[in-house]
Amino acid sequence: MSEAPVVLRATGLERRFKMGQELVHVLQGADLELRAGETVAIMGRSGAGKSTLLHLLGLLDRPDEGRLQLDGTDTVGLSRPARARLRNRLVGFVFQFYHLLPELTALENVLLPRMIACGPLRWMTERRAAREQALGLLDELGLADRARHRPTRLSGGERQRVAIARALVGKPRLLLCDEPTGNLDERTSEVIADQLFDLSVRHATTLVLVTHDGDLAARTGRCLWLHDGRLQPLDPGPAVPVEKPRPRALQSPP
Amino acid sequence: MYRPFLAGRYLLARPVSYLAIFAIGIGVGALITVVSVMNGFLRETRSIVRGTTADITVLPVQHPSEGLVASQSAYEAVVKGYPGVVGVTSRLVRPAVVKVHGRENLSLNDAMVGQSGHINQVMVMGVDPVAESRFTDFTHYAEQVYDDSLKVKEVQEAAAASPPRAPDPARLFALDRKLIRDRRLANADLPRILVGEQRMLLQQLQPGDALELVTLPDDVDLSGATLASRTETFVVAGAFRTGKYDFDVNHVFVTTPDFKAWSGTRQEFSEMAVTATDPTQLPALRDGLNRTLERAGLPVLVATWEDRYAVYLGAVENERNILAFVLGLFVLLTCTITFSMLTMMVQEKVRDIGILSAMGAPALGIGAIFATCGLFVSALGGLFGFVAGEALARNVDAVKNWIESTFHIEIFNKEVYAFTTLPSEVNSWLDAKVLLVTVAFSVLICLLPAWRAARLDPVDALRHE
Repeated sequence: MSEAPVVLRATGLERRFKMGQELVHVLQGADLELRAGETVAIMGRSGAGKSTLLHLLGLLDRPDEGRLQLDGTDTVGLSRPARARLRNRLVGFVFQFYHLLPELTALENVLLPRMIACGPLRWMTERRAAREQALGLLDELGLADRARHRPTRLSGGERQRVAIARALVGKPRLLLCDEPTGNLDERTSEVIADQLFDLSVRHATTLVLVTHDGDLAARTGRCLWLHDGRLQPLDPGPAVPVEKPRPRALQSPP
Repeated sequence: MYRPFLAGRYLLARPVSYLAIFAIGIGVGALITVVSVMNGFLRETRSIVRGTTADITVLPVQHPSEGLVASQSAYEAVVKGYPGVVGVTSRLVRPAVVKVHGRENLSLNDAMVGQSGHINQVMVMGVDPVAESRFTDFTHYAEQVYDDSLKVKEVQEAAAASPPRAPDPARLFALDRKLIRDRRLANADLPRILVGEQRMLLQQLQPGDALELVTLPDDVDLSGATLASRTETFVVAGAFRTGKYDFDVNHVFVTTPDFKAWSGTRQEFSEMAVTATDPTQLPALRDGLNRTLERAGLPVLVATWEDRYAVYLGAVENERNILAFVLGLFVLLTCTITFSMLTMMVQEKVRDIGILSAMGAPALGIGAIFATCGLFVSALGGLFGFVAGEALARNVDAVKNWIESTFHIEIFNKEVYAFTTLPSEVNSWLDAKVLLVTVAFSVLICLLPAWRAARLDPVDALRHE
């Protein structure tokens, strides 16, 4: 595994937020190196800065200090449009609350990152291929017959699978998942997790999971603990000092 | 590609966007229709004013005690010789009191006569029908009378001839003696008169009826206890119709010799109607004529037809401009609907903006989605208004007639507007400019919400609930 090329290298990431008068140091020198095809779980207490870290890794946010290399490109000095292009090409996001666009069908939601990548002219030549690919992804996720449905007509699990297809459609090097199963019941979570690991292997994508779910974290190759603004390696297992998982019954979808 | 695609989807999902399209369409359509109709009014007013007024009128200025300083021929020689003048015809004009022969002088409602007169008053125009027809629409006035029974004999005969021929202007005042109603007048060799069709209808006149015209002599002594007046009986030869209601009610035509015999005037002419080679260069011709006549020692007032009716034409033009201004404001107001629609949309779509950022849409691209929404709405609305407005403006008279016959109401009082049909002049290039300005303004004010969308921090947007 260690021979695989480095997809992401973050060194000394710092991020501060102003909360009223106070300056909150959320990240204080987080280091991370991710290799192609790796699966990594990032855990930590609520408010430890997991989401902030994920946004930094996905170029949605800029660190106050530190360096971030993505696929060999130094990203800190890049302009906003350049970072957006890089994000579109290299990164896929999966969120806890699916975040699908309600006006679009499942298929259109999946196609959106490809549309963003193409101008109108290029889209005309690529449309057919992109559709085939998106339908293939939906098929892989068992949603072939749901392609024309609007998100409101899909279940929570189905929506999250559409979101996963959308994250993978651009063939990203890095798939960043923020509590991907946090809003789903236990059985659906397992199915989604299976598919997520399965697809990341099949599409050779590096998978980063931010989660509270010890079971999910245990399935990753490497588990990191975010504490005091830094990342520390952690032995995956049931004894991880995470917050006691809430009873599943209370985690039903909203 | 995602920009127009998402813009379309966002708009289709929101009923308010249809409302905005509709509102802009109504605004643009109303502006186009009203401006077209007002331009039609202006054109019609100008052509009617034009029809009864020469290109340029030369009014001799009289000396306080000696009267005119020179003869008609002296004036005509100078005017005719001026470059750019096609022809000139002299007229005598004098107000008169009029009474229908053999009837009591009933006073009709003034309102029926128009703003500028009373049924018992007329302007008597003494003209040379041949010269007048050569340089003005005089023959045409006699021809365009609606009621065939009111037309003069020569016009009826010319139309009945096979093939139809043009009426001979020299015979426009002719009348069959047997038509003269009052047999006692039939044998007297009475002068003839042409009366406006509107007055014919108002006073229930037929060719062959007689009118008595009363005027004051040149040397009237207003200090005397009794006024010496001059009266003559004229037989109506037929009607004329200029289309300008006011003119038709308040003017009558007689021949110059009859005019002189009736009024006993020493004056040779009251005004000179000048026809120009180039009707677009009238102000220059007016100034040139003025200078030349002054230099020749002939004091005059020279006015183009537009000068003489400047107030009248200016009023219609002002009316058009004010309506265009008000409706223009209305269109801009409808554009602000797009603005508020987009402002709400951006607020509603904060999370979408975060998602799109996460998928790699650049900030400007996200702003462009909303600007495109504004462009779609204003372009569709403007286009709808453009098409509807042009269609309505081109068929406004049919629509007016339909409304009038269906609901039994009169929308436009033809006595006030002097037109029997609702005119409209469609200027598609102007309308296209209205469309362009509307779209440009709409997109411009939509840039503000679009800019706000573009500036949203994606991380904040994603956290937004």
